[in-house]
Amino acid sequence: MNVPDDLRYSPDHEWARLVDGVVRVGITDYAQDALGDVVYVEVPEVGATVAARDKISEVESTKSVSDIYAPVSGTIMAVNTELADHPELLNEDPYGEGWICDISPSDPSEVDALLDPDGYRALIEE
Amino acid sequence: MSDETSHALRRSPLDRAHRSLGAKMVPFGGWEMPLSYAEGTLAEHNECRHGAVAFDVSHLGTVRVEGSRAFELLQQVFTNDLSRIEPGRAQYTHLLDPDDGSVLDDIIVWWRSPEVFDVMPNASNTERVTGALEGTAGVRVEDVTESRAIVAIQGPDARGRLASVHAVAATVGRFCVAGFEWNGAECVVAGTGYTGEDGVECAIPAEHAERFWEAVLEAGVKPAGLGARDTLRLEAALPLHGHELGPGITPLQAGLGWVVSWDKGDFRGRAPLLAEKERGVRRRLRALVTEGRRPPRADQAVLRNGEVVGIVTSGNFSPVLGHGIALAFVPPDVEVGDELAVDVRGTPLSARVVKPPFVTKH
Repeated sequence: MNVPDDLRYSPDHEWARLVDGVVRVGITDYAQDALGDVVYVEVPEVGATVAARDKISEVESTKSVSDIYAPVSGTIMAVNTELADHPELLNEDPYGEGWICDISPSDPSEVDALLDPDGYRALIEE
Repeated sequence: MSDETSHALRRSPLDRAHRSLGAKMVPFGGWEMPLSYAEGTLAEHNECRHGAVAFDVSHLGTVRVEGSRAFELLQQVFTNDLSRIEPGRAQYTHLLDPDDGSVLDDIIVWWRSPEVFDVMPNASNTERVTGALEGTAGVRVEDVTESRAIVAIQGPDARGRLASVHAVAATVGRFCVAGFEWNGAECVVAGTGYTGEDGVECAIPAEHAERFWEAVLEAGVKPAGLGARDTLRLEAALPLHGHELGPGITPLQAGLGWVVSWDKGDFRGRAPLLAEKERGVRRRLRALVTEGRRPPRADQAVLRNGEVVGIVTSGNFSPVLGHGIALAFVPPDVEVGDELAVDVRGTPLSARVVKPPFVTKH
């Protein structure tokens, strides 16, 4: 499984990338592989305020539905509108084109509290 | 899944072949079977609609029923009428609960020769079906599931590609059954399937199964798993035991009255089913199409004017149609064209009742 070194990870299999004060959020390669073919992604509303570990999205595959949680607290700044017609981006490019939303963090130190790549690798190898 | 669980699961004669293809294996009906292969469920689904795929369905049971009174026994135990067909044909039939007429299993019978029938229950029901058939003088009942693999080859190109493996197997007629010899192995082929496409199902002795599977794949047929099997059968609006059929659900509620022969004489479960027919069913299975890509799911409530009136038995995204589809039990007064909704975890999803199947043969 691909676990990029420049990201942080939640125990619920979301990734977080802090760039210029904004946290981009998606699901990990491990998560998309476990879900199978994604057919629908419900994205959060821009402007919504979320707390860390709040449910922000639902991802449905041909076999099951999975809740997606906010890895950090803050305000939803942007969502990936491409996912409405192309939910398969989550499978094809989970760390790139398959991103779900951008969060402006209310406490950027929450990013540091997430798992580092080695911590996440250990989690999924359990 | 813990190791403990996986050790208790049965494995197909093709288990090694699936693992070497990188299949995701999942527990199903007491077996560990492929959910999908490398390309994934949607690609496998589309290949079956436009090309040809092979499913390992060895988890289906094969109960061989043989003897001078075998025909008579099956006529008394199952709902359909074998006198409508003849040796060399296959028939879909039901085993009912004698007390309430609900469907304990739905079964394909391969009528091999005048006194030999291969009765094929769902994986988890093989013992139940064997039990219902045992104990009649003049009939031998044997569970031969272990002795063979079953490979279903389905899709518009199924016969064309299978022709290079075995010409006779590729030409068996729809709902016909024939023996064939492949590399010295005695095999059986039937023109049956569970995808809504043309195709065949082949029973291959276990020790030859892996080579047969490989020959089929070499002929250009792609492997497909249980994930695609489920989305394909749902688009074809075919019932799945445990969802549209099962304890508490009668053939009449499921819209499968054609499987029941009222005029062949008595059969197991006839009296309670006749009583239901006379008083009218309290619910009926209907086909729903929903708006957008979001899939409706089994056990979600069906709403009419905001009130709960029914329940989804199976639901998913239709890869061919590009929106949600579902089978659901609703009140008998719901008609084709009616507008309903499905409660998807608190969000009502608009639904319209349609005439099944959702997708017709390609």
